[in-house]
Amino acid sequence: MRSLIKVLFVLFALIVVFPAHAIDGTQLLAQVDRNLTPESYVMYRKLINVEPDGRKKEYTLFTVKKGKDKVAALFTAPASEKGRSTLRLGENMWLYIPNVGKPIRITSLQSVIGGIFNNSDILSLDYSEEYNAEKMEEGNEYLLYLKAKNKTVAYDRLKMWVDKSKILPTKIECLTEAGMLIKTMYFKDIKDFGGGLIRPADIETDSPLYKGYKSVMLFAGLKRKEYKDEVFTLTFMDKMETLR
Amino acid sequence: MMLKAVLLLVFWFGAYSSAFGAEEYKFEASEIEKKPYHLGGFAELRPVVNGLDKSSALYKVNFYNNNRGSTLQEYNSRLQLEGSYEEGIARFFIRANQDVNNTYAGWSSNGTLYEGFLSLKPSDSWIINVGKRTFKWGKGYAWNPVAFIDRPKDPTDPELALEGFWAASVDYIRSFGGPLKTFSFTPVLLPVINDNINDDFAGPQLNLPGSKPPHTSNQINMAGRSYFLLYDTDIDFIFFTGGSKTTRYGVDFSRNISTSIEVHGELALMEDFQKMFIDRNGNLQTSNYDHVWSYLLGIRYLSPKLTTYILEYYRNEGGFTRNEMQDFFSFVNKGYNTYLSTGNAAPIQKAAALTQGNFGKNTPTQDYLYLRISQQEPFDILYFTPAISSIVNLNDQSFQFIPELLYTGITNLDLRFRTYFIVGKGDTEFGEKQNDYRIELRLRYFF
Repeated sequence: MRSLIKVLFVLFALIVVFPAHAIDGTQLLAQVDRNLTPESYVMYRKLINVEPDGRKKEYTLFTVKKGKDKVAALFTAPASEKGRSTLRLGENMWLYIPNVGKPIRITSLQSVIGGIFNNSDILSLDYSEEYNAEKMEEGNEYLLYLKAKNKTVAYDRLKMWVDKSKILPTKIECLTEAGMLIKTMYFKDIKDFGGGLIRPADIETDSPLYKGYKSVMLFAGLKRKEYKDEVFTLTFMDKMETLR
Repeated sequence: MMLKAVLLLVFWFGAYSSAFGAEEYKFEASEIEKKPYHLGGFAELRPVVNGLDKSSALYKVNFYNNNRGSTLQEYNSRLQLEGSYEEGIARFFIRANQDVNNTYAGWSSNGTLYEGFLSLKPSDSWIINVGKRTFKWGKGYAWNPVAFIDRPKDPTDPELALEGFWAASVDYIRSFGGPLKTFSFTPVLLPVINDNINDDFAGPQLNLPGSKPPHTSNQINMAGRSYFLLYDTDIDFIFFTGGSKTTRYGVDFSRNISTSIEVHGELALMEDFQKMFIDRNGNLQTSNYDHVWSYLLGIRYLSPKLTTYILEYYRNEGGFTRNEMQDFFSFVNKGYNTYLSTGNAAPIQKAAALTQGNFGKNTPTQDYLYLRISQQEPFDILYFTPAISSIVNLNDQSFQFIPELLYTGITNLDLRFRTYFIVGKGDTEFGEKQNDYRIELRLRYFF
């Protein structure tokens, strides 16, 4: 009887220590991921770096993703970047530059285009693939506190505000391990892409590290599509144009 | 009147605010539309000032009968055109250069087909390529000992496009779920035919009495590369065999050992290696080796402040030794003195013939260190990357260092300013180069 009481006590303690929110947060994050993109897709993105004086520099990317950990992107504009491609297989990332002619390994924190966007923004996986939901708060919106699963993830912590009815993020703060704000992303312009895909078509980003600068990511042509695994290989990086 | 002015002010302020606040970004359908063809490229202007070292061996070789001032100007221009056309499983790609340069030798113009090949992709696992193309095998940044079927890179500017060779190749790609994530195999056939196709594949030959260039014509050479992505490590096994060069084998690897550190390496074995060099009197000497090794070890580190360090050590057993280089420089000086005292140019002309592609080529000796440090966007200056590179000859402690400033903030325009400082005592590789310094501005407009 005494041991039964002990077991019940331990179970009660576990329920108190690990509240239902942790599980809900994980489920919510997975739902956010699926509402943002299918697991396998193709899409186009336009990245715009806006300087304090209003000057802009724009890049257009064609992106393909398959499953949890395979994503590749091809720059289609401007002319100076055309033909560059990037590939991510889990934690491995490579950059192919046509003139250089061979893929080189890169890291998630580098930026192939400069400005606020880094490589992990360009080759992003599902949030639930890279982060654990540590805590969730509920107010007008859900607020998820996310912690990177390992050191290869570009931002150690995220704070994600999620719209309760649409289950889509409205704002994400990217933080260092020490809690320093690196950048804030604002999700705007909910748009129907067809095939049941309704999501923000505009993500605007600012950063205290780049005061006065702003980056914008626009989405187009998002649709479900699954390519063969062989497309996500180094040997295929200079042939990505054939997928468009 | 006052009210009218205030209302006008409010109107303009409101109009300005709403225009600013509601700035709209557009992504037009035409921007993602794919055309079956593509035309592009860049136009480049590259003025250069060379600061000459008049006491150096290579100055004497190049200008023994043509004394120059302390500096030489060059005005170089290049038009690189790229085009492609895609239809079904077929894609044709072409990249060609036209150079127009003005140097001390006058105007010159040269057109080169860098690449031009047809690709057939019956499936995502099979790709067949036929035509002129570069392969760029190897993981090294400044050198690639295993790049058996490519032209050598310029280690002072490793990211320059290279001219390819005519070849037929197949890429076979497979992906897997376990520790081996990717396997690909690329067999290549590379012909050298009647001094017309790939006639320079075997490299420059010593056109001197006593030298026996290998029989390189009418040869079908074979090469191949097997690539593995195994336990998050890129690994290549490479071979080359054929009549145009001796048989050689290579292996390379690249791996991220942490989020900010990448390590890479290459190892090449060349069989039946023959080295030709001269003694201090200009007599041709030949050394034959069963095999020679060359290898490279490198590391790339990205600091938390986004400074990138690339460090590479390169060992080339087939390169000239310190004594062989000193003998060459002695022979040049003797030939130059003979020319000055007697007017007999034969010895210095012989030295000139030995310079091109041999003693005068990039990094011709045995042991080198390469270091590049670049800082992405310092002082919050977007699109600005200053860098410094250095190549050190470990055999004679001579070196060059190359500070550069790169700005890419204007769409499709790259501005690069570089200086080369070439430092070394007498009888050392960099001490005997033609220049003491070189200043170069490169403007490249992409279209």
